[in-house]
Amino acid sequence: MSNTTRPPFVPSHKLPVPGSSQKHILAIDDELPILELLQEYLKTHGYRVSTATNAHEAKRIVESEAPDLIISDLQLEDTDGLQLIEQLRVVLPKTPVILLTGVLFDPHVVEDNLKWKISSYVSKTAPLQSLVDEIRRHIGR
Amino acid sequence: MSTEPPPPPVAADPTMRRVLACFGLILAVLVLVVVVSLNNLSRSVATSDWVNHTHALITELDALQPTLNAAEGELSRYLLTADQRDHGSYQNKFAELGEHVDVAIALVAGSPTEKQQFQQIALLLAKRADVASQIVRLKKGGDAAALQRLLAQDAESHDHRELAHLIEKLRETQTDLLSARDRALFLQAQTTRWTVLTGLALDFLLLCGAAWLIRDALAARTLANRLLQQSNVELEEKVRQRTAELSATNAQLAAQSLEDRWSKQALEHQNRYNLLIIDSISDAVFVVTKLMNVSRLNPAAIHMTGLEPVELIDKPLARVLSLAGPTELAKPTYDPLARTLAEGHELRDKPACLTTKSGHSIPVRLNFYPLRDRDKVVGGVVILQLSAPAST
Repeated sequence: MSNTTRPPFVPSHKLPVPGSSQKHILAIDDELPILELLQEYLKTHGYRVSTATNAHEAKRIVESEAPDLIISDLQLEDTDGLQLIEQLRVVLPKTPVILLTGVLFDPHVVEDNLKWKISSYVSKTAPLQSLVDEIRRHIGR
Repeated sequence: MSTEPPPPPVAADPTMRRVLACFGLILAVLVLVVVVSLNNLSRSVATSDWVNHTHALITELDALQPTLNAAEGELSRYLLTADQRDHGSYQNKFAELGEHVDVAIALVAGSPTEKQQFQQIALLLAKRADVASQIVRLKKGGDAAALQRLLAQDAESHDHRELAHLIEKLRETQTDLLSARDRALFLQAQTTRWTVLTGLALDFLLLCGAAWLIRDALAARTLANRLLQQSNVELEEKVRQRTAELSATNAQLAAQSLEDRWSKQALEHQNRYNLLIIDSISDAVFVVTKLMNVSRLNPAAIHMTGLEPVELIDKPLARVLSLAGPTELAKPTYDPLARTLAEGHELRDKPACLTTKSGHSIPVRLNFYPLRDRDKVVGGVVILQLSAPAST
């Protein structure tokens, strides 16, 4: 599908509706098309998704409304994803974090080295449904 | 511009024709009843006027004799008393009698027969008035003998009896006419009553007939309506099911579309990432086809050869690279890299010579790996490192 046929993407950090019964997910990625797809897909599964392309936006969203789950890429515009996750963990120690990246990680390496920082690792090459399965595993529907 | 053909003529429905005929008859009966009733009503009004008129005439007739008697009584009193007051009473009573006569004449003016009958009465009354005038004149003149003769002559007359007879005759005529009019009025009322009742009964029968005629059509339409409603319910249920299926399919397709877009994004991202990795390597990398033609090279290779990609892509790698032999004469007649690729072997850290765009030869160390796609060699990768300068 061509981008010209789709409506323009609106950064959703302005969209959260406090008080909604839907689970709130914060998606962080430096690529807007990725965020657009994530928001669209997770919305169809009943989640409310806020998006941020950098650490500054992510922190602002966390301050305004704490998410139930965080999905973060490894590479961001202004910082390293793992570093941002560490900072957010200080504020939200119990919030599950899923690392979603195209950088190929060995799952064993993730298990051994990153288990203290993240709750799950999902490759960007995996189907979106696997990401939804992982989200449901952490916060349910 | 096309014109639509006229619709085919609708076949006349015999039941509909009969029903329309019934309603036509009902309308005709109603019109007849209305006409007859209005006619009878007009006649009743006319009869009522006539009856009032007749009663008025009878009243006037009944008043004539008593008034005449009263007037003549006042005259007798005047003859006895010669009082002017009694003379005035006598005049008043005769004036009253004249009024009754005038009213009666007006009432009989429309009927020649009655007019003729009443004329005789009026003449007799006029005669009585004339006699009274003569008596009064003689009384005032003091001619007692003439007065006596006139009174004696009047006493022998039969005017009163004849007047009573004439009045009674005219009154009986009017009474008979009243009775006839009463019978006629009763008959008119009866006619109106029967006309209305007969019309209503006929209309009711015609309505029953119309209902009888359309009963089958009504039953058929009721059944068709019920079937239509049932079909509508079934259709709505099918539409609902189909809509639900389409919605589910649509949601599935939307999810699949998102998955496809996600896969495409991931693939592009992965490809871009891999290219970044390859392009960031400082060693020269050449990707070759099975025929050892260059299909791809990284920036380090471009920098090392000084050639642009357009000068190398789809060109034999041997144009810029050769394995180093002991001497120029010892160069093999075949391409050792092509042979290695064909055999699926690898070469590691072999000395080679890279020819730059300017014609200079640069000693390099060569690594060569065949590219396998599911155990099938589809090409190869050549990685060149600059040889370390010989130690002096």
